[in-house]
Amino acid sequence: MTQPAVVFEEISKFYGEVLGVNRVTLNIPPGITSLVGPNGSGKTTLMNLMTGLIFPDHGRILMRGISPRDPEALMRMTGYATQYDTAPRWATGFTFITTGLLLFGYGRSEAEERAWKALERLSLTDAANRKVAAYSKGMRQRVRLAQAIAHDPELLVLDEPLNGLDPLVRAETIDMFRAWAAEGKHVIISSHVLQEVDLISDQVVLIANGMIVAEGKIRKVRDEIEEHPSQYIVRCRESDASGVAALLFGEDHITEIKLNDDRMGMLVMTRDREQFARALGRIALDGHRIESVVPADENVDALYEYLIGGER
Amino acid sequence: MTPRSVQGRAGQAWTIAKIELRRVFFARRSFWVYGLALLPSVIFLGHGIDAKTDIERLGRRGLTAPALMDSIREGESLDDVKKRVGQPAAERWSVRSRRVRQRTGNAGTTTHPIEPPVGARFVRLNITRPSFNGEPVARIYEFEVYGPDGRANLALHRPATGSIPCGQDQGPEKAVNGSVTGGQADRWCAADWPLFLQVDLGAVRPVQRFVVKHASAGGENEDSDTREFNIQVSENGKTFTTVGSSTGGGYVDERTEVRQIAYFDGRRRADLVFIDGRVQHRNVRRLLDFEEDRAIFAGIFQYFYLRLAIFFGCLGIFMYLFRGEMSNRTLHFWFLAPARRDVLLAGKYAAGLIASAVIFGGGALLTFAAMIWPHDAVEVQAYWNAGGMGHAFWYAAAAALGCVGYGSVFLAIGLYLRNPIIPAAVLLTWESVNGIFPHVLQKMSILYYLQSLCPVPAPMDSDTPTLIRLLAAPAAPASRPGAMLGLLLLTAFVLWVAGLAVRRMQISYGAET
Ligand SMILES: Nc1ncnc2c1ncn2[C@@H]1O[C@H](COP(=O)(O)OP(=O)(O)OP(=O)(O)O)[C@@H](O)[C@H]1O
Ligand SMILES: [Mg+2]
Repeated sequence: MTQPAVVFEEISKFYGEVLGVNRVTLNIPPGITSLVGPNGSGKTTLMNLMTGLIFPDHGRILMRGISPRDPEALMRMTGYATQYDTAPRWATGFTFITTGLLLFGYGRSEAEERAWKALERLSLTDAANRKVAAYSKGMRQRVRLAQAIAHDPELLVLDEPLNGLDPLVRAETIDMFRAWAAEGKHVIISSHVLQEVDLISDQVVLIANGMIVAEGKIRKVRDEIEEHPSQYIVRCRESDASGVAALLFGEDHITEIKLNDDRMGMLVMTRDREQFARALGRIALDGHRIESVVPADENVDALYEYLIGGER
Repeated sequence: MTPRSVQGRAGQAWTIAKIELRRVFFARRSFWVYGLALLPSVIFLGHGIDAKTDIERLGRRGLTAPALMDSIREGESLDDVKKRVGQPAAERWSVRSRRVRQRTGNAGTTTHPIEPPVGARFVRLNITRPSFNGEPVARIYEFEVYGPDGRANLALHRPATGSIPCGQDQGPEKAVNGSVTGGQADRWCAADWPLFLQVDLGAVRPVQRFVVKHASAGGENEDSDTREFNIQVSENGKTFTTVGSSTGGGYVDERTEVRQIAYFDGRRRADLVFIDGRVQHRNVRRLLDFEEDRAIFAGIFQYFYLRLAIFFGCLGIFMYLFRGEMSNRTLHFWFLAPARRDVLLAGKYAAGLIASAVIFGGGALLTFAAMIWPHDAVEVQAYWNAGGMGHAFWYAAAAALGCVGYGSVFLAIGLYLRNPIIPAAVLLTWESVNGIFPHVLQKMSILYYLQSLCPVPAPMDSDTPTLIRLLAAPAAPASRPGAMLGLLLLTAFVLWVAGLAVRRMQISYGAET
């Protein structure tokens, strides 16, 4: 028996000239999945694609077997808490959620009952009859969460759901995620802080500059990032490239070296950045004149820097 | 009722419509739509109240027999009219006063007798204000001097001097040549200050009367006549004595009495204007003219209501349905509902349609009621029996169908375009010049069908230019069922196009504004 999954096949999305995401292929099983990446990396774009708020330029998306172009079927089982911090001017927390539920075909009393239950789960009952526009940032975040879960979806897409929550609500919310995951639901959340999600996630998708950099269980992802061969362009002075290359070849973390025709530059692939950096230091001390070392694979390196930076 | 059935979708569209309705009816932006819809009824109400108070006020002073009122003729005197017709229902009088030039009746000639006669060899005319129109040019056609016998002009052909003349042929000698009929070459003309004309009589002679012939005596405009001057005499040419002068300004107040009185026979009001006690104008009109008011209603309905009020009202309501939510960043809530996009479109369109049809159909009926209200019950009853109820129905129907048509168009425009101003201007132009296009193209305009639905053609004077006539009326009006079918087909097509757009629509808040 195959599990229902969220499947992206070669998805690309451009906003005019601007890259949203590029050739993303994903297969997300149920459980808690975190999309992690720095600002502007494409997390919201991916989530909007999942829920049909935007459409891909290329590729195919299936959400538990349903296309996002069929909102009638998809949204019945999907809840999406967006990043857009807006609510209709007329809405109180309670009417906001009730109104949304009416569109699912619930009768008024059932809609109100469900709305109340959702507000209860996010401890918003005290503020239920106040205008959403007058809520604090964290309360607005919670009311969006409440709206996403009010109809009991199997597939939850939550854009930075922990952002702005106080520790108590955060813990409760995380417990909620775990409970849903245990029921076999999809809980897809995004974050730009890895530590915030790595403990609770069943899997993590690392994304940078619109591309998936690594995907899998959190330990595996770290290893993968570490082992992901990095490319550097090394330039030397006085046509010394072949000498440097000969020395680098002696290191066992180096997988490939391509020498430039001008005999001054080379493309180096290494499996271990730190050892590579140490090796370059030794070579320079030996009297070889290295002019510059530039990472050629910015996506991975940017994310790597970012992850390392985040752990400090 | 499964969600994917037609019924289920219709129910969902209705749920969406109900949610949206409240917003459309009570949004602050809807208030000016109400204003547009209610403006004509306010105008008619004002007109009715005005006419009613007039009738009440005039009636209180007593009624006049219609035949007697009609018998008043122009030229009759005030006393005659009052004696024959009786006390008027209203009377006002005023005096108009106007400053006019005193008419002397002697065509620009002034005479200045001197009592007793003086002896003089030199006589001199000093001009201090040379004209009535402000022109600083003195024009004298003849300056005559008479002795006690009064017969011979002592100045005739005597040597004359004066200020530098305007032209060579207009020297001082022309004022003593005994003629005024030779045109401008027969006058003395000067613009050089001081302005004077002096004649040497040859020897000291008794002088008793002067005659000055000014511009108008020579055929020029009266305004060029000399306004202020004096006459001096001298025996030696050195010391002069003033012996005469002009009478001054030469203006008088002309007073005209204007009296306006009105008679009222219960329905008609006769307004009479008396100038200096005689009837100058008479104007008899009905204070409340049902037929005229109905024609005015037809005009307001077609020119203001259909073309402007409903047009812009629908623009405000329907463009907002999607475009407004995009700029408020709330559109994604709708897109995240478990509903097909075209169901969403249908729900929103229904909400806009119900709201606008209620506002404008109701507005049309209210205006119709305000138009009818002040009129005589018997007259109204007769009209009602002769198809009046049908008229009211078709006006309301045309207004509602206007919302159907314009609503779909603005909904579609709001889905495709960001800025409403240019498409609205283009559409307004298209709708209003459409009448001059061939018949096939006319069928692409909402207004064409709406005009065909109106029960009464818009009033038009017989001297309306052909172009406007073409613009205002469809060349070949469709039959009512044809017009409704055409309008609905056009609407269905536009909604289908809108459906294409809404299915492709993506949330892109950042790029908005
Ligand atoms: N509507 C849009 N129009 C143009 N470019 C857009 C639009 N939305 C997103 N982008 C661009 O697409 C890229 C990915 O944006 P996205 O919002 O998906 O990032 P994100 O990972 O969610 O960032 P954040 O952590 O700040 O929420 C960015 O470069 C962004 O500038
Ligand atoms: Mg985002």
